[in-house]
Amino acid sequence: MSQPLLAIEHLRVDFPAVVAVNDLSLTMEPGDVCGLIGPNGAGKTTTMRAVSGLQEFTRGSVRVSGHELAHEPDEMKRRLGFMPDFCPTYDQLTAAEFLEHFARAFDVPERGRRIEECLELTWLTDKRDSLCEELSRGMKQRLVLAKTLLPDPQVLLLDEPASGLDPLGRIELRKILLQLRDAGKAVLISSHILTELSGFCNKAAIMERGKLVKSGTIADLGQQMNTRRMSVKWRGDAAKAREILQGANVKIIETAGIGATFDFAGDTDALDELLKSLVVQGVRISEWRGVGDDLEQIFLQSGAKELM
Amino acid sequence: MKLSENPIFITHKRLVHRGGVLAAVLIAGLIGFSLLLGLLNSLSEIKLSGQLHGWGFRSPAETGKNIYGWVIGVEILVLVMLGVNRVTRALQEDRKAGLWDSNRLTPLKPGQIITGYWFAPGLREGYMAAVLAGFGLLVVLFSQLPVTLWLGTQTLIWSTALFCGLLGILFGMAAQKSSGAVIFLAMLMFCPFSFIAPSRMLTNFLFPIYGIANLFQTGDGNRDWTRMPEIFGLPVPPILISLALQAILGLFVWRTLVRKTANPFQPLLLRWEAVALFSMLVGSQHALLWDAWHGKFTAPSEPWRGRELLPIVHGGTLIIGLILLVLASPQPEHVRVESMRLGFKNLGAVFSRSAVSLALSLAGVAGLALLAQFAWGLAASWQAYLVAVLNLAEFLLIFALLLEFCRLRHRRRALGFVALWLFVLCAVPLILAAVFSNEMIARVSLLAPGFMALTNGAESWPQLFLALLAHFCVVVILFFGWRRQWKKLLAHTAG
Repeated sequence: MSQPLLAIEHLRVDFPAVVAVNDLSLTMEPGDVCGLIGPNGAGKTTTMRAVSGLQEFTRGSVRVSGHELAHEPDEMKRRLGFMPDFCPTYDQLTAAEFLEHFARAFDVPERGRRIEECLELTWLTDKRDSLCEELSRGMKQRLVLAKTLLPDPQVLLLDEPASGLDPLGRIELRKILLQLRDAGKAVLISSHILTELSGFCNKAAIMERGKLVKSGTIADLGQQMNTRRMSVKWRGDAAKAREILQGANVKIIETAGIGATFDFAGDTDALDELLKSLVVQGVRISEWRGVGDDLEQIFLQSGAKELM
Repeated sequence: MKLSENPIFITHKRLVHRGGVLAAVLIAGLIGFSLLLGLLNSLSEIKLSGQLHGWGFRSPAETGKNIYGWVIGVEILVLVMLGVNRVTRALQEDRKAGLWDSNRLTPLKPGQIITGYWFAPGLREGYMAAVLAGFGLLVVLFSQLPVTLWLGTQTLIWSTALFCGLLGILFGMAAQKSSGAVIFLAMLMFCPFSFIAPSRMLTNFLFPIYGIANLFQTGDGNRDWTRMPEIFGLPVPPILISLALQAILGLFVWRTLVRKTANPFQPLLLRWEAVALFSMLVGSQHALLWDAWHGKFTAPSEPWRGRELLPIVHGGTLIIGLILLVLASPQPEHVRVESMRLGFKNLGAVFSRSAVSLALSLAGVAGLALLAQFAWGLAASWQAYLVAVLNLAEFLLIFALLLEFCRLRHRRRALGFVALWLFVLCAVPLILAAVFSNEMIARVSLLAPGFMALTNGAESWPQLFLALLAHFCVVVILFFGWRRQWKKLLAHTAG
């Protein structure tokens, strides 16, 4: 069996008077994009710093492609890229010079070509000769992402990568992440904004007070959900529709003449059964959807309540 | 990796050049050129009238030395002061911006990162100093001074710049703000003490004041500055002492920098390094001092005014010990995490890692080094030796216990409380003694017994031993407080 790209086992980080990360285990395979979700102070950034080697940890192990951080830090550095939640740049260097600095440090072959590739990938080609101090925060963020991609790492740790980006930048970031996923990279990405992560994350890890509350593939976590919030709209007999809904494991949140929002306690199969019974009993369904995306629902049910 | 391929060096060189170097080099050139013109003018005046009008220099050599002194004065200011400040600031700014961490996450070796910061940020000042050194050579040649004066002074200036550059990186790594002004003031405070006996004080060699001044002196000059310093009575050229001291101390600093770059959570000094460094500094200081008494303290080997010399060295030893204890003592949190990792929960393991056991080792080393001044006359002066050593041990122990107690009890406010208690134990009795004009109160001060024993050989010993006993009681009380705090922390770890 092949080794996972990233394997974190029983990671523990102690700060004075607080356990910042407690017994965290997580594995990532090629092509995995894992959303690391949690409220402020949950330990997301500390986890990323510990995995990258910037933060000393008390116990546990971190391996990238089988290379352990504690024993082979240099191998790790070539295989793992960390992008912090702020933009460390040399303000008086141009974007190309900034990338050249790190290309030299990583001893990247065909330095010039690779720098142009990364600039292109992050839509900064026309800014290659601009000083870093002249770039907007979003551009700096993309430049730092380009720097992280320079040595072509197998595992990427992105801490709040979209925090300074405008809507267009976020869409472009999503495209880059999809490209990385398709290229077989493993990406661990933390964000406050769950809608940013949904759509391309195939895994999620939810943290609260240093502990991993839930983790797994989005599909598995969706299956495990106890309740989910649904929205339904119908045409015709509203009383009959409400009667059917109340008969199932449903708690109606809001109801109107043509539809309702409700919490359903049960698995996906039971939910399918409820829809079937509505249709069989003659209710004409015009809309049937979950409220919020999968990640939001998973997060809300994880017990970690304070997202912002 | 060659320096020219080092990315940190290349980037910082680029940043320096982007900020502009031509103006700085021209300023240095103008200063050098003005001084050279001044020399040529003086030389022509001496040639015409036999004496330089107004200045009183009678020979080209005397004029040349004076003007070369100005050249190297500016050179030291630019290279050592401004250059080192630039290194510290570059590192602090990179740390603040997160670039230090970004560089640490690259496959660059810690030594390569340090080398980049060592040489590049101060390049502008390096160019200026090189221009000034060039003009300095012309001054030496025109005034027919020996080229060895130029070679010797330039070697010492550049070696000091390299040594201070390493210290600058250390400050940049450890401090949030540039502490240059504080260090400069501290050095100024030391100057009066180190000039009492210039050839016998270590500080004059570490910062090669003696080596440079000695090169300017001729045989008939002030004997304080012309004599060859002696190591246990053996004359050694001052340049060699300075270069050796800077190289050894620089090696320790280099090791610290590499270790801290690889893992910032490591202590600044390992315990064995602290002991070795302390041994080297205190040992070489006593070696320089040895010819004053030849091992028979209180009986000077020559009619000599430096009776206060040993108390000054005692004070210096306390300060060095204090600094090393701060640098080498582990943070309680670090010990707690280590205890969790390694599974130890007993106080014995804590003691072996704490500053308290280190303080005992340092006191032992200091006691041995001090013995060099007493060994051949111990029968006559054993009380002075014993009081000085016990005082040293108590001072270092109290400081180590206080430091860890306050770190455990007061956390971020620890430094303030340590300063407060040291002030109470050391300074308050002296202030009260002055206010009430009562010398007896001064003897209670933690500093008093050692200084009194080494200053006044015929001191009333019972009173000093009584003061030592009182200080020992403070040690015992602090030890119990220290033990209680550690037990609490270890219990928290176990929980």
